[in-house]
Amino acid sequence: MFGAFRLTNPLSGGLLWKIPWRLSRHQKYRQRERLRNVDTVVATIDNALARQGQSMRKMERWKMEMPVEQEMLPKDKYTVFDRKVKRYRKGIHKVPKWTRVSQRLNPPGF
Amino acid sequence: MSYFRITLMRSGIGLPQKTQGVLKALGLRKRMTTVYYPVSQSVAGQILRIKELVDVKEVSAPMTKEQMRASRRPDPGYYIEQKAGEAMWGYK
Repeated sequence: MFGAFRLTNPLSGGLLWKIPWRLSRHQKYRQRERLRNVDTVVATIDNALARQGQSMRKMERWKMEMPVEQEMLPKDKYTVFDRKVKRYRKGIHKVPKWTRVSQRLNPPGF
Repeated sequence: MSYFRITLMRSGIGLPQKTQGVLKALGLRKRMTTVYYPVSQSVAGQILRIKELVDVKEVSAPMTKEQMRASRRPDPGYYIEQKAGEAMWGYK
């Protein structure tokens, strides 16, 4: 009756993991914080290398292609492209390990 | 010569083996571990692989483990004027 293997609706039947359809505003806030943290890490590395007169191809590409948090559209911050979903977008919180992976760019037009 | 101070903020558990391998290569075994590496392209590339998990600062000199421990220790709130053994010397 109690413990890890108790009979609850999510465990006894099929798929009843209730992940909300949209992010809460606090989840969105933390998502923005995480995006900004990654931006600061990249900027720190870039500054440190530039001070030594060095650069990297990977870094140049990142700076050219990747938008920083302020430049991103809300659509790209909180949702991702998924070809299996109606209207091709799902909440970013449905991505496995979504708080520890970067997912900034989506296919153009979607 | 400047150094990267890298602190592991988020654990690499459940992430791809390649990511976990980078953490291992940098010597980041547990959360809140701090390591220092001289600024170079190869280290920068490694950090970019784990940028979501770490906090990075550029510092002028690395700190040893003992120095990091001492910097975390709070101010004791007193200072020692004289040790008890020294105070008793006159009475022997």
